[in-house]
Amino acid sequence: MEALRIVIDVFIGISVFFAFAGVVGMLRMPDAFCRMQSSTNISTLGVLGVIIGGILHSLFILGDSAFAIKLGIMGIFYIVTSPIAGHAIAKGAYRHGVRPDKKMSVDKYGEDLVEDLPQETVPDAVEEEVSA
Amino acid sequence: MKKISFPAVLSTAVLMFLFWMVITGQIVSIFRGEASWQVLTAGGIVSILVGLFASRFFIHESAFYLWNPARFLPFLFYCFIIFPIELIKANVDVARRALSPKLPVNPGIVKIPTDLKSEYGQSMLANSITLTPGTITMDIAEEEGQTNMYIHWIDVATEEPVEAGNAIKGTLEKWIGRIWK
Amino acid sequence: MIMQELVFFAICFIVLACCLLFRFIQGPSVADRAVAADSIDILADMALILFALYSGRSVFLDIALITALLGFIGSTIVARYLEGRL
Repeated sequence: MEALRIVIDVFIGISVFFAFAGVVGMLRMPDAFCRMQSSTNISTLGVLGVIIGGILHSLFILGDSAFAIKLGIMGIFYIVTSPIAGHAIAKGAYRHGVRPDKKMSVDKYGEDLVEDLPQETVPDAVEEEVSA
Repeated sequence: MKKISFPAVLSTAVLMFLFWMVITGQIVSIFRGEASWQVLTAGGIVSILVGLFASRFFIHESAFYLWNPARFLPFLFYCFIIFPIELIKANVDVARRALSPKLPVNPGIVKIPTDLKSEYGQSMLANSITLTPGTITMDIAEEEGQTNMYIHWIDVATEEPVEAGNAIKGTLEKWIGRIWK
Repeated sequence: MIMQELVFFAICFIVLACCLLFRFIQGPSVADRAVAADSIDILADMALILFALYSGRSVFLDIALITALLGFIGSTIVARYLEGRL
């Protein structure tokens, strides 16, 4: 029982460590996109350690399998949704005009977007309204 | 409005019904023989309604594509072995960058090609790339028959599209190509 | 067996979330605030899960699930607004 307790503590401790690294990265990184990279650190291993430790705890100490199944569903949910939110926020922020203070070393998206933007914004919006 | 196909509705409804059983806790009590028929019936009706409404957002290609051991086993292998290894490596790398005193970052947006044709395969690769810390997929664009992804990379090693693609995708694309073509 | 250290880990998560409040208040752009709010949501969820494990009551797990759902919907809607399609 003591060994199991140590294993659970190690999993949750890994999770706390990666959450700490993500928070420090979010406070220290130089621009908005790099901060998003650090926030991915929180939402992947920062979550999975707690989920795995919690499944072990609920199966072998609490003895409640409904708890474990619910935790597993929450883990899958986090893994499926967090890249969608990150991708949406990154694209939306770039299109809204958020740029880093220092110039990025290579910016292929900006170069290609300048050509696309005049054709893409105006007619598409009108068409969407008409078809909807 | 698109046509509603029966397999799409069925697969969405089964998924929604499983989710309902998990949320209400019936999935445990059905093994103990104390499941409540009222809860199960209500969940079944609601999940069929949701399937009729939402299947055209979820399912665009054949609905039971994964229902085949030759595709499902690589899928499981990818989800439980290949991808976690990449995830842990990338996590350790970004954590080391964030905690080191000199903050060694060199951000930039690169453009990489991908050979995957299927819609699900492309979205799975894009989500895998976003989920590994250090890279975020910003957009997918198609020009002249070649699909490209724009990726924000925290440490740009090379600007060359093919080399950057090999560095970012690694073994991920090969395994996804076995599942979705 | 009551595991006292789960509460300690939950307090660690809450302290980390409080550190992120700085980025939420000071963040120069909207994207910073959205990402910080999303991360605070996730950290608070982790604390809720740990407290549910400590107390053995599944009510906290349901609350954590709903909070995760709302956080995802909120950040997606913020992103859509930033893109100019709302």
